Amino acid sequence: MSRQEVEAALARAGLDVPEREKPEIAAAAHFIEEMAARLRTDRKMGAEPAHVFPPPPEA
Amino acid sequence: MVPEFLTIAEAGALIGKRELSPVELVESRLARIEQIDGKLNSFIRLLGDQALAAARSAEAEIMAGHYRGPMHRIPIGLKDIYETRGVPTTGHSKVLLDQVPQRDATSVRRLAEAGAIVMGKLATHEFAFGGPSFDLPWPPARNPWDTSRFTGGSSSGTGAAVAAGLVLGGTGSDTGGSIRGPAAFCGLAGLKPSYGRISRAGILPLAFSLDHAGPMTWTAEDCAIMLQAMAGYDAADPASANRPVPDYRAALSSDVKGLKIGLVRQFYETDNPANEPTQRGVAGAVKVLEELGCSVRELRLSPLADWAACGIIIMLSEGYAIHEATLREKFVDYGEAFRDRMALATLITGGDYVQALRRRRELAAELAAAMADLDLVMTAAAPSEAPPIDAVGKFAIFERPSLTMPFNVCGTPAMSVCCGYTEESLPLAFQLAGRPFDEATVLKAAHAYERATPWRSIRPRFV
Repeated sequence: MSRQEVEAALARAGLDVPEREKPEIAAAAHFIEEMAARLRTDRKMGAEPAHVFPPPPEA
Repeated sequence: MVPEFLTIAEAGALIGKRELSPVELVESRLARIEQIDGKLNSFIRLLGDQALAAARSAEAEIMAGHYRGPMHRIPIGLKDIYETRGVPTTGHSKVLLDQVPQRDATSVRRLAEAGAIVMGKLATHEFAFGGPSFDLPWPPARNPWDTSRFTGGSSSGTGAAVAAGLVLGGTGSDTGGSIRGPAAFCGLAGLKPSYGRISRAGILPLAFSLDHAGPMTWTAEDCAIMLQAMAGYDAADPASANRPVPDYRAALSSDVKGLKIGLVRQFYETDNPANEPTQRGVAGAVKVLEELGCSVRELRLSPLADWAACGIIIMLSEGYAIHEATLREKFVDYGEAFRDRMALATLITGGDYVQALRRRRELAAELAAAMADLDLVMTAAAPSEAPPIDAVGKFAIFERPSLTMPFNVCGTPAMSVCCGYTEESLPLAFQLAGRPFDEATVLKAAHAYERATPWRSIRPRFV
């Protein structure tokens, strides 16, 4: 992810990040990319997430 | 003369025999805080008058023959994310500098009902996430074994205060290791119970589905005593488990012979390689547990980086949702470590978050299957002893996969247990994790290990 892409994401989020910190955040963006890629494995379409909403018990 | 260091169990016994008064005990801790805490910064708000009044009241109760249990008259500290009625609860942040809650967190109320005496509010990494930081309203806590060292985080003040004997126990919270990390670096027993065992109501959240509240003490026995007071169903927490709470202290006396332990060596040998003293400490702990009659066999799990990625993507996504509006309004009111780490959440997509949740289900199933014929899982608690505090970088939590995060992802109970010291007298630690809601077996094994080793008799020394 380029520095421009990171800065665009910060701006889209409406965060007023000091100029000095922007390149540091951009330099750390690869951690997120690597972690997100690691979570994309070959799983079945119906593989459920851990959080599902349980219906409330009958009154 | 009140001893410099006392465990909860020891203090309770002395008070029970009327060899120590609660007032003397609180006065001695206040004197110790006055003497030492300028070097440690563990307290951000001392409640000395309130603690003394509570001690006098406890003394009157004792004289009247009223005994509430083993937490009665015990001085403790609260991580400053636990809400306290009428007392500011800041998350160690400028953002909540003036917040004065109208109610106690459920666990604080339960500790008060058990008779614990709150000495004050303790330092934390900002909102249990950003630290160590030097740009917050209070300085970061320092490690009592060497004040140039990191306490671990985020329950940094609790780690320092308990290790230094300023309080006999304290509360922590653990979203990715924030109880077990400081416990490891400060030489404590720190228990992250099962998700749902202790109410999160009234505790400032970091990530709803990963946050756990728990006790930090000097011994496993003290953890059992404190957990007993804190645990139990609470309708105010939607994740609270409506399950019976066993007698944890009674469970300590049963035999550990025959317990089956899976040793996840891969986590600390290859996935996040621990240094030589840590590996030696864990190997020594394995030997002791085997001598006590446990059987230990190697267990392989998915790479540690998978567990860490899953946990961190969930933690950042949920944490960002909590702080989003305030980050937009006043980004620079947060400390730099908090705000810049949290800014990375803007790079996470909805798809990333749901993939993390799907991976979470797979990993939880993997651990449950692995534990089908095991009582406990064991691994290192940290890859080394405490590093210098100024060597901990802003993005350090992303650089190496956390050894503690797997048990947040799965919500299983896990505990940091001291397993010796380096040549520089810095603590080393291993982790024991149990099946969901089986804190009793974790505590029992930790207690047996502590009794078989000399480590609990060694305390930090102050010149």
